[in-house]
Amino acid sequence: MSARGLLRVVPQQPDQYVDEVRFCGYCGHPDHADDASARICGDCGLGVILSAPAVVAPKPGHPAIVLDHTLSVCALSKGAEKLLGITEPEAVNRHISELFVPAHAEARSLDSLVSAVVSAARGDVPVERIVVRPTGEFGVRYAVRISTCGPPRAALLVLDDDEV
Amino acid sequence: MSPNTLRAWERRFGYPKPQRSPGKHRLYTHGEVAALRDALQEGLSISSAISRAREALRADTHILVGSLNSFELDRADAAMEAALALRSVERSVEEVLLPSLVELGERHGYDSAPWAFAARWAGDWLQRAQRLAPPPTRSVSVLVGNASPDDLEIDALYMRALELFLSRAGTKVLTLPISGISGLGDLLTAFRPDAVVVAGSHDADDDVARWAYRVRAVAGALPITLFHRSTRSERVRTTGARLLADSPGEAHRELLAVIESGGRMDAPSPALDLAETHVLVPRRRVS
Repeated sequence: MSARGLLRVVPQQPDQYVDEVRFCGYCGHPDHADDASARICGDCGLGVILSAPAVVAPKPGHPAIVLDHTLSVCALSKGAEKLLGITEPEAVNRHISELFVPAHAEARSLDSLVSAVVSAARGDVPVERIVVRPTGEFGVRYAVRISTCGPPRAALLVLDDDEV
Repeated sequence: MSPNTLRAWERRFGYPKPQRSPGKHRLYTHGEVAALRDALQEGLSISSAISRAREALRADTHILVGSLNSFELDRADAAMEAALALRSVERSVEEVLLPSLVELGERHGYDSAPWAFAARWAGDWLQRAQRLAPPPTRSVSVLVGNASPDDLEIDALYMRALELFLSRAGTKVLTLPISGISGLGDLLTAFRPDAVVVAGSHDADDDVARWAYRVRAVAGALPITLFHRSTRSERVRTTGARLLADSPGEAHRELLAVIESGGRMDAPSPALDLAETHVLVPRRRVS
């Protein structure tokens, strides 16, 4: 048998590693707890600790929404409650289209938002940007950063501070 | 998880919903805490975890409804056993047994055979549970006037639940039909009730008033309360009778509070004024 090394096909490595941060899904405070398995925020006690790419993770007080692959709302941050005028218990299990629809002039349908959220919930898309407006309202638009968060894997939508 | 976190969740989400010990400490059921713990493992927010935990607890109701719907008594008993593994007797009755019966009654009609089957089973279950209640520990007696025609009325099941809760709270309970006035004096002299509950809405106001008048003539000015008794007609207001909450758990707490306050009642609401008039003003005196 030859001592020559064998060539093997290996999975493609990502081009760059994404820095992930842990934060509370409700108050947005970063989690610095030593116990990485802790699931409840030690600051507010009202949110679950999630991980997301640092470029997307919301800052304390920022409006953020977590959606699962069925496009149902799973979590609403305190900032999003204030922005949307709805509490998290009221919003949970509601469909995203009850809250937002795409507002891109060139977007032809709800598909752009749906596909971005579904891709993010699967973990396929690092970060995507999209413009949305509240359902049933015109003249108000928000830039949204969409990425994967978890565990369990879900889509994180962070609304930027300023309206577009 | 800290006690403060659980208290914050109770305020914000209404869950977990603890009972209180005699010393006012919160008592959480294992079922609620376990369901919440499991849901939190896979939840993305406290709200969604609580929503899933609530759904998990509602599964017992679905199982009981399914068993009674398919006339399987053993499965129905097993469903209640499963409910009791996660909850107290009081909460099993309030959160599983009674909602299941209401669902079946609304689905089939309260005059249907499936309803009669389910109501008979539920009445038997409540009576079995009452037989297992500890002996009375309070020197408090409650007389229940049964204004339902038979055990197949939904009001009768609520009354049985109230009896069970009162018994488990250490109270002596005696239930008599509203229609039986003969010999009531001797019985009440021996039983010496501290409060009276008129339960059920079937018997006519005149009959209820006659019975209540007789009870008061023998036992004195006892607090009289109404449980699952709807109002029918307007009469002259007399003394204070109080309408208890529809929930047997809430009603038994209200009743014990009335007794502990020496029969003093809070000012009745306008709706209550109407209810009072039905019980306490007999049209004709009974010898």
